Amino acid sequence: MSILQAHNVEKHFTEGRETVAVLKGIDFAVERGEIVSLEGPSGSGKTTFLSILGCILTPTKGEVVIDGIAVNAKRLNDVRKRSLGFVFQQFNLFPSLTAIENVEYALNVKGVRGAAARTEAERVINAVDLAERQNFLPRDLSGGQKQRVAIARALAGTAPILLADEPTANLDSTVGTQVLEMFRTLAKKENRALVIVTHDPKVRTIADKVVKIHDGRLSQ
Amino acid sequence: MSVDLATKSLLHDKLRFLITVSGVAFAVTLVFVQVGLFLGLMDNASLTIEHLDADLWVTSHNTANIDFSHTFSETYVKRVRSIPGVARADNLIVWFMNVSLPNGAVEGTEVYALEDFGRWNFPWNVIDGNITDLRRGNYIVVDDSAKKRWGPFSVGEYREVLGRRLKIIGRSIDALSFTTTPLTFMDYRLAQSLNPSDLRGNTTYILVKLAPGANIDAVRAELRHRLPYNDVFTRNEWARRSRTYWVDSTGLGLNMYLTVFLGCLVGIVVVAQTLYTSTMEHIKEFGTVKAIGGGNADIYSILAKQATIAAVAGFALGAVMSYALRPVIEKINLKLVIPTPLSIAVFIGSIVLCLAAAMISFRKVASIDPALVFRT
Repeated sequence: MSILQAHNVEKHFTEGRETVAVLKGIDFAVERGEIVSLEGPSGSGKTTFLSILGCILTPTKGEVVIDGIAVNAKRLNDVRKRSLGFVFQQFNLFPSLTAIENVEYALNVKGVRGAAARTEAERVINAVDLAERQNFLPRDLSGGQKQRVAIARALAGTAPILLADEPTANLDSTVGTQVLEMFRTLAKKENRALVIVTHDPKVRTIADKVVKIHDGRLSQ
Repeated sequence: MSVDLATKSLLHDKLRFLITVSGVAFAVTLVFVQVGLFLGLMDNASLTIEHLDADLWVTSHNTANIDFSHTFSETYVKRVRSIPGVARADNLIVWFMNVSLPNGAVEGTEVYALEDFGRWNFPWNVIDGNITDLRRGNYIVVDDSAKKRWGPFSVGEYREVLGRRLKIIGRSIDALSFTTTPLTFMDYRLAQSLNPSDLRGNTTYILVKLAPGANIDAVRAELRHRLPYNDVFTRNEWARRSRTYWVDSTGLGLNMYLTVFLGCLVGIVVVAQTLYTSTMEHIKEFGTVKAIGGGNADIYSILAKQATIAAVAGFALGAVMSYALRPVIEKINLKLVIPTPLSIAVFIGSIVLCLAAAMISFRKVASIDPALVFRT
């Protein structure tokens, strides 16, 4: 069974008196250990779809099923805590926390505390090869290092699904490739499903499946 | 142990933290100084009443406070002494007189005159000389606070009170009045002789000490019966009446409440404004907290902790500033009274006000859309 499924997902937004259909009946599935590249032009609805997959938005119609359980709109926080890890285009690290604290704090939010959180944070910081910089604040890290911290934060814990929004958009080509390679390796190694929303054609090189979204509909 | 995002985030922007803490400290200092000065003044307004060892005070009718005394016949004291349950009763004159200083200037003094100061344990803090010697002649004991108005003086010198040279035979400390007029102590008959037109055959108060086991209500009722044109107060009633007069008639109470209110308002506005600005600047971080699974409660706890830290740090700084001001204020003969209950109240008030200030930010974060983490 797929770890993440979307069935006939529609999303409508109201702008003034008009209702705009951004997603028009999307069916989608990802398996554990699978890497999917979700591509599409600006305004095609890919970030909206990612937000719905990430339980940040709820669909107007249709449903999202994670690990066999349909997502209940009242328990979105719990689903995010338990099953999802995010990587953002802007990294979204806490500037007052060091690299390892950023990871550890995410674990705290998920309910992992104390020594267990520190041990897990060290494990994933090592996995992204940032052990030597674990006590640096984000302002003292390069863009690639910040994104590696963000990846470590997404990997921390046992979330089976990782969602990434344009993870290479703010990185140069070389660093972007390195980060993608690292992401792919870690996702495969830990058998996590990875969905990457991107404009970057390099992502195709690591993806098992490329899905295109255009005008609110999917095509493979 | 968890990562303390609240504290680290608060201290990350040190200038903002300093502004927040300064806002609280300003409010705390304002409240401490205003209330402290008020309590100090109120303390002075009834200081002599509380130190005189009298259970009941007989005053002329409608006397507003101890300083603004009116005369009545000194023979009334005999009626008082004849009442069962009265252990002793003495006349007390409290009267303003002029003092000619060696430099030619004329200053005022508030005279307390008794026949036997020792018996009433008054004044209570004599640092030089013997108060019982006042009965022996044209002598005075002057409170040290007079130095501010009279200039320096010492025992053995003379001062001219209402035209008569009186020798200073002692000094007291801590005997102050609400009016800040220096207190002078002299023999009862000497005071009468200095101002015979007002005081000959007259007194201004009768001090009453009850016998052990006497019923104060019964004695008071009998006093009222025998002195129908006078008022009779217990010590606490008279002290409260003297204090209340100044609060009501001078607007001092209103002034204090207004300043305290303004201080709190300024504090709450500064804290609310800085916390809100900080929240707006960190809105994406709060969105991230939500995106990684945190709820509003997680963010509320961050804001509440930051508000509490600001309150505690601001209170500490404000308290230190207030205590540092004490000696400066004492130099101008004012007292800053900061009792422990006031400190506790201000501490709790600081936390409550800071949390109230954080409520505006609470409302903002409650409406955060976690989808904003995807926006660039």
